[in-house]
Amino acid sequence: MAEDAIRQVFLAETKELLENLENDIVLYEETKNPELIHSIFRYVHTLKGGSGMAGYEDVYQFTHALENILDSVRNGVLPMNDLLADIVFASIDVIRLRLYSEEDPAKMEEKFNVLKAKIKDIETILQVKDEADIVADTMEEEKASEPQPIYNFFRVKAKFREDIFKSGIDPLIIMEDLASLGMFTELRVNRNDVPLLENLDPEKCYLSWDVILKTKSKEEALDDVFIFVRDDNDITITNVTKNYVSQPVIEDVPKLGELLLSKGMLTEKEYEDVLSEHEKTKKKVGEIAVTKGYIEENDVSLALKEQESIKKHLSTSTLRVDAKKVDNLMNLLGEMVIGFSGIKRIAEEIEDEKAYRLNNALYGVDRIIREFQEHLMRIRMVPIGPVFEQYRRFIRDTAKAHGKTIHLEIAGGDTEIDKTVIERISDPLKHLIRNAIDHGIESSKERLAKGKPQEGTVTLKAYHQEGNIYIEVSDDGGGIDTEKVLQKAITAGLISKNNDIPLVKIFDLLFEPGFSTAESVGDLSGRGVGLDVVKTNIEALRGSVEITSEKDKGTTFKIKLPLTLAIIDGMLVKVAHETFIIPILSIIESVKPAKKDIKTVENKELVVHVRGEYVPLLMLHQEFKLPRTIENPWDGLVVIVESQGKALGLVVDELIGQQQIVIKSLDREITSSRAISGAAILGDGTIALIIDVQGFLNS
Amino acid sequence: MNIENTTIEEKVDSAMVEQFVTFNIGNETYGIEVLKVQEIIGMTHITHVPNTLPFMKGVINLRGSVVPVIDMRKKIGMEEMEYNAFTVIIITEVKGKLIGMIVDSVQDVVTIPVQKIQDTMRFTAQVSTDYIKGIGQIDDNLVIILDVDMLLTTEELAHIKTA
Repeated sequence: MAEDAIRQVFLAETKELLENLENDIVLYEETKNPELIHSIFRYVHTLKGGSGMAGYEDVYQFTHALENILDSVRNGVLPMNDLLADIVFASIDVIRLRLYSEEDPAKMEEKFNVLKAKIKDIETILQVKDEADIVADTMEEEKASEPQPIYNFFRVKAKFREDIFKSGIDPLIIMEDLASLGMFTELRVNRNDVPLLENLDPEKCYLSWDVILKTKSKEEALDDVFIFVRDDNDITITNVTKNYVSQPVIEDVPKLGELLLSKGMLTEKEYEDVLSEHEKTKKKVGEIAVTKGYIEENDVSLALKEQESIKKHLSTSTLRVDAKKVDNLMNLLGEMVIGFSGIKRIAEEIEDEKAYRLNNALYGVDRIIREFQEHLMRIRMVPIGPVFEQYRRFIRDTAKAHGKTIHLEIAGGDTEIDKTVIERISDPLKHLIRNAIDHGIESSKERLAKGKPQEGTVTLKAYHQEGNIYIEVSDDGGGIDTEKVLQKAITAGLISKNNDIPLVKIFDLLFEPGFSTAESVGDLSGRGVGLDVVKTNIEALRGSVEITSEKDKGTTFKIKLPLTLAIIDGMLVKVAHETFIIPILSIIESVKPAKKDIKTVENKELVVHVRGEYVPLLMLHQEFKLPRTIENPWDGLVVIVESQGKALGLVVDELIGQQQIVIKSLDREITSSRAISGAAILGDGTIALIIDVQGFLNS
Repeated sequence: MNIENTTIEEKVDSAMVEQFVTFNIGNETYGIEVLKVQEIIGMTHITHVPNTLPFMKGVINLRGSVVPVIDMRKKIGMEEMEYNAFTVIIITEVKGKLIGMIVDSVQDVVTIPVQKIQDTMRFTAQVSTDYIKGIGQIDDNLVIILDVDMLLTTEELAHIKTA
């Protein structure tokens, strides 16, 4: 029993460990950061110890051999080259196979032996080679592979002259220019000089900036940005790359001084100065630095805050919980929300002075439930970073197989997404990445001919927007050849000839099931291999996907996903005798239209005039084929909804109120209406359908 | 040991007879396999669903699950009838999903020997036979045995998808 438990824990931990190991090797290949060698060694060492304890004797033996080799690498005797990386990767694969599949033990042993032989080879080379030789070799190797960071970090302080606007320069545009070179990892705007409102001169610039820019560009590029303002404004650019690139793993809470140093707020000399003063006077480091005029008080408090957050980060402990337990809690909470809205309904019916007290008490419970929900949801939310990271190895291998060099870039890895969504999005993502490598990025030769860098880039990016999560998979390849897509679509009989098709629709063709067949891979150098499956998978998550592409610039697949699959805020509306729910996130406003504001177009389409704009109008009862209970649009209410920048007015009989609802999915077999995204159970036990605004606008 | 014995006996039994829940629609008696029936509930509030098959009445709340319901009168092409105190919804499990069938009234659970079940006979073109499994006989009464798995045919499903 106990042994079983140990195995369970070992298997769960090793899964993660192997992923981390893979990532670190790929990262090392990219950055040559020596820190990574140590962490690679540590992973293998842990694996050895764990497998021994869990009773996987073969894995233990094997990792022991592997560890020896890596130890030589760690000691600088052996270079971590391509050959070695391949061996480690192959080892990871075999170990995975051994631990997580039911592979025939005899076959397993054979595989282990093949790898062991390879490792032996390296070991013999090691022994044969003269010690001095090797040292010389590695020295050379190291020289050649002097850590060449991909990114540079610059600290830019920009204080513009107050009268800068008079010269026709907008500092913001300059800062935006700067941002376009890369990414601000830290951004501070100093507002200390902004005067009180009565003294504020709107034609003066009171702000100054202090940013850390992460960029691939060189310092000259930054100089170019400030070329016109550098002379008479206070602009300083310092290269602080070394503080960021080989950032060691933080194991201790850093001292304030160290933190300031690492941020580049203090120079090394200033830092020493402050420290010696601190030894003498025992004054606080921050205070000394401020009195010496090295930094501002603001900086100190910011650094203190950061120190605090590191402290917190270090002290959080994690707990491994079966996801099912969380799901159960989620379901129970869902039932509780339904039950609670039932009680609220009854409370509203009571006409007594006690009703007031009851409602107050319920209000308190409501708040707690919401908070509960939020926290519960957060348990389910995990950062998408690890999912992105696990593609490093995949991209390396696939690119190698295609004879291309491709670099993976990740942005927004800390974006948190519902765990179920993550699990179900990883296959479609893999598909899109494979597509990007296979069809998107050109061969090195082609790229050079086009004047692009030889190394292609695949970017994975995640971010939150308007209550949704967006994941983008983009490449800087050749883009989609629309002509070829059209040709292919015509031969496949998806569209008829001579049809004038807008660009967006052409890209949509790629998602058509008929578009991709096995034969088409060869004759179409564009894309479209199995993209219909990707689309189906994403839509099953109530998401959507769209393509943007520019010739020779690249292609981006933008996936939109709901934040959570479980609960939304909804507005309950009445149409005929039915209740519908419109997600609050989609609603802009609701208006009671005057008769004169409603016009017809071609005597069919209705539009309503709201705040100087005409918005198309839909009578919901008509749309849903319900009996007509309001004669004219102006007898009801118009709920203005929006999706993807398009607005639409929905005519309803009346608004009932706002409520949190638990989404229950509705089988596509029940209704094909794209205007309905699901159902919810209301407090009185009846079911209301949820209106999908996006579906409405698209249908 | 005991338990094993009974299961074997049951297996022998079930090889020869089958149990059905019978119900009325109009003047006819229908039956479905008892194992396919999850429960029978009284008439409840049905929420209308737009853009669906004509016999799909909508969805109901079954203890927190959203379950689609079919009006069997409409499904077999009979006149609709106003629901009354006898109207019930039979909740069946079809391919892992729950579906409710609205019927005039529920009758009984009957055991019919297998040899008394006739294969579906050839009807005239007016009668759709896809969801009729066979014709059973109890005494002198005829029981039309339905195949719940075929209640929503792929053809019909395809129809809603494209509608």
